[in-house]
Amino acid sequence: MSGALDRWNPLTPLAAALLLVVAAYTGPQPWSAVAALAIALGVATGSGMGRRVLALVSAVAIPTVLLLLIMSATSGDASAAGAGAGAIAIGSARVSRAAVLDALGVSLRLGAAVGALGWIVAGVSPRRLTRALAERGLPAWCAYVLVASLEAVPEARRRAREVQDAQRCRGLSTGGGVPGRLRALARLAGPLAVSLVTESEERALALDARGFDPRRRRGALAPIADRRGERLARAALWLALVALLAWRIARALRGAA
Amino acid sequence: MSARDRGDVALSMRVRRVEIGGVTALRDVSLEVRRGEIVGIAGHVGAGKTTLALTAAGLLGRAVPGRVDGEVRHPLGGSPPASFVFANPWTQLTELGGTVEEEVAVGPENQGLASHVIRARVDAALAAADAARLALRAPRTLSGGELQRVALASALALDAPLMVLDEPTAQLDPESARDLAASLRALATRGAAVLLVEQNLELLATLASRVVVLADGAPLAEGAPRALLERWPPLDPRLGATATVEAREHPAAPAARQAHDPLLEIDGLDAGYGAHEVLHQLSLRIPRGTACAWIGRNGAGKSTLARAVMGLVPARRGTIRVAGTPLDGLPVERRARHVGLVFQDPGRQLFSRTVLEEAAFGPRALGARRAHAEEAAREALAVVGLSMLERSHPGDLAPQLQRRLSIAAALASRPALLMLDEPTAGQDAEGKMWIARALGVQRARGAAAVITHDLAFARRTCERVVTIAHGRVSNDGAGALAGYLKMP
Repeated sequence: MSGALDRWNPLTPLAAALLLVVAAYTGPQPWSAVAALAIALGVATGSGMGRRVLALVSAVAIPTVLLLLIMSATSGDASAAGAGAGAIAIGSARVSRAAVLDALGVSLRLGAAVGALGWIVAGVSPRRLTRALAERGLPAWCAYVLVASLEAVPEARRRAREVQDAQRCRGLSTGGGVPGRLRALARLAGPLAVSLVTESEERALALDARGFDPRRRRGALAPIADRRGERLARAALWLALVALLAWRIARALRGAA
Repeated sequence: MSARDRGDVALSMRVRRVEIGGVTALRDVSLEVRRGEIVGIAGHVGAGKTTLALTAAGLLGRAVPGRVDGEVRHPLGGSPPASFVFANPWTQLTELGGTVEEEVAVGPENQGLASHVIRARVDAALAAADAARLALRAPRTLSGGELQRVALASALALDAPLMVLDEPTAQLDPESARDLAASLRALATRGAAVLLVEQNLELLATLASRVVVLADGAPLAEGAPRALLERWPPLDPRLGATATVEAREHPAAPAARQAHDPLLEIDGLDAGYGAHEVLHQLSLRIPRGTACAWIGRNGAGKSTLARAVMGLVPARRGTIRVAGTPLDGLPVERRARHVGLVFQDPGRQLFSRTVLEEAAFGPRALGARRAHAEEAAREALAVVGLSMLERSHPGDLAPQLQRRLSIAAALASRPALLMLDEPTAGQDAEGKMWIARALGVQRARGAAAVITHDLAFARRTCERVVTIAHGRVSNDGAGALAGYLKMP
C-alpha cells in the first residue's frame, strides 16, 4: 500500500500526530482540542485523505458523545443535581449543562487524537513506517510484529472475501436479509480462522526460507529518505511535545501544592 | 573422493529417518550435491520428495515441524545455506514487501547487505527469472505463474550455495518452464548446486545430471535421468512431458453437433479488475459433450476468463450463456447451478471438517437434502479416487489430493459447465489419470474447460484447444496447440 504522506519520512507525520494528541489532552480546554482537531482535519484534507480521516473521527467521536450523554441521563445524577437552567431533556431524563460540556470535551479530545493518528492509518504505508523505525534501531522481530499487526485487518478481509467467493461458487448465498447474512457469517468464521492460522504458518516458513533472523539487523533496498530540513522540523516537534508534557506536569504539581 | 571434490560439496545428507507428526516420511537417504551440479528428485505423490527437499534445505525441524534422525550438512556455509522455491506460489510470500522488487529484496535485506548490493541482487534475480517487468506490481495482483517467477527471483537473490526447488514448474507455462530451465543451467554454470524436485519429467531429463527416484519414503533408484525415467513405468514420461505435440488423440465431436449445440457461448466479453482491463472483446464457444483446453502464457487472462464466467469478476460488456441460460446479472451463487469452478489453489477453497462434508457442501448449498447430497458426494469422490478418505480432514490431505477433492466437490453439484484451473499442477501420472476420469464424467453431463500449461494432458484429454493471449482468443481450433508451441 502506498500512502498519501509518502513524500515525508514516516517518522515526521508520526511526530506531528503525537504532538497533536498530547496538545489536545494537555493544553487549555476546549481550545487546544479544537485547534488540534482543526489542524488534523486540515492536514488530512490537504493530503487528499480528508474524507477517510473525517469518517474515522466521526465513527469514534459521535458514538462517544452519545454514549456519555445517555449514561449521564440514565445515571440519575444529572436530574438529581437539578441540572438547573440550560439542562437538556432526553426523553423523560434531563442532562445538566456541565454533563453536556464534559461529553463534548471528551469527544472533542478523542476526535482530535483519532484525527491526528488517522494520518498514520490512512496516509502512511505500514511497511515504510516500520522500515523507518527499523532504521532507527527497532529490532527485526518487533518490526515484523508491527507490520503484521497493521496488515492484519486488510489481510483478514482479503481472506474472508476469498473464502466467501469459494463458498458462493458452490452455491452458498450470502444475501437473504439478516438471517441469511448471519448464516453466511457462521459458515465463514470457522474456515476464516483456520485459514488465517494456516497462513501465518506459511508466512513463518516463507520467512525462514529467506533467512529471516529476528536478532539480526536488516538492510534496506531503498533507505527511507530523511532530508535535513525534515530532521530539524521533527526535532522541533519532539521538543514541543516534551515541553508540553513538562508544562502539564509542572502545572499539576503546582495545583497539588 | 579427492580433497578438491570434498570442497565442492554443497549438500551432504546421511539421514536414517525423518518423522513428521510421528509418521516416518523419509528413510535411508544418502545424498550429496556438488557445486555446478543439478540433481533431480522424482517419485509418485507421497513418495517423500517434499520432505527430502525441506530436509535438504534445513527447513525441517525449524519452520516445518518434524524430526530428523541423521546428519544434514552444508559444507559451503551461507546464510542461509540453501534457498528454497516451493511448489505453491501463493504460500511463499513474506508480505514484507509491498511490491515485487521489495518482496525479492527481503532475502538480501535479511542478510543485512548494503543498499547498492541489494539493488544489484534484486535486479539480477528479476532479470534471470524473467520477472523484471513485474518489479513494481503488487505481488497479490499476480497470476500463479507470475508469482512463481517472483518466488524464483526471491530465491536467486539470496545467492545461496545450494538452491532447492520443489516442483517449481507446476504453475508455469511451457515458455516460462524453459526460461526456468535456462536460469537453473546458468546458476549451475556459475557454481551453485541445485536440487530439483520435479513432476515435469522431460524437464528433469534435460536438466539433471542424475536423478534419485523415491518410492514410499525411500530411494528406489539413482542414475542418469533418461535411463531411469524410461525404466520406471509408474513415472510415465509421456504423461508429464511438454514435448512437441503433433496431433490430438481424441476424435473431435461431429462438426455439425459442435456448431449447433454450444454449451458455453461468450460474445464480446470485456472484464478486468478495477481500472485494469484483462479481457477484451473475447468471444468463445464450447460445444456440449466436449472438454476444451484454454492455454496461453501466464497472465494472458485464462483464470480471469473463468472467474468472469463464474461472476467473480464483473463483465463490463458482452454476454455469457451456459446451456442457453444467460448468466448476465446473475449472482455467483445462482450461477453455481449451471457452472462449477475449481480454483488454481485448491487449499483455499476447502472449508469443511471431513472430505465427505466438503464434497457434499455444494449440493447442500444448492438445496439438496442431506442424504441426496451425500450420495452425490460419494459418487464424485469415487470418480476422483478418494472414497477411502471420506472421513479425513481436508486440511490433512496432500496438496495433490486436495486438488482432486476440490474437483470432486465441484462435480458433486453436477454443473453443466465445469471449469478447472491448472488441475494437473503437482499431480503424478496416477493423479492425472483420476482427473482425466473426472473430465470424462463431466463431458457426459455437459462440457468442461481446462486451464492448463500441461499440453500433453490437454492433448490426451481435450477435444479442443483454445489459445488465449492478451485477453483475447488468439487461436481456436485444431492448430491451436501446435501454433502455441511455436509462439515466440
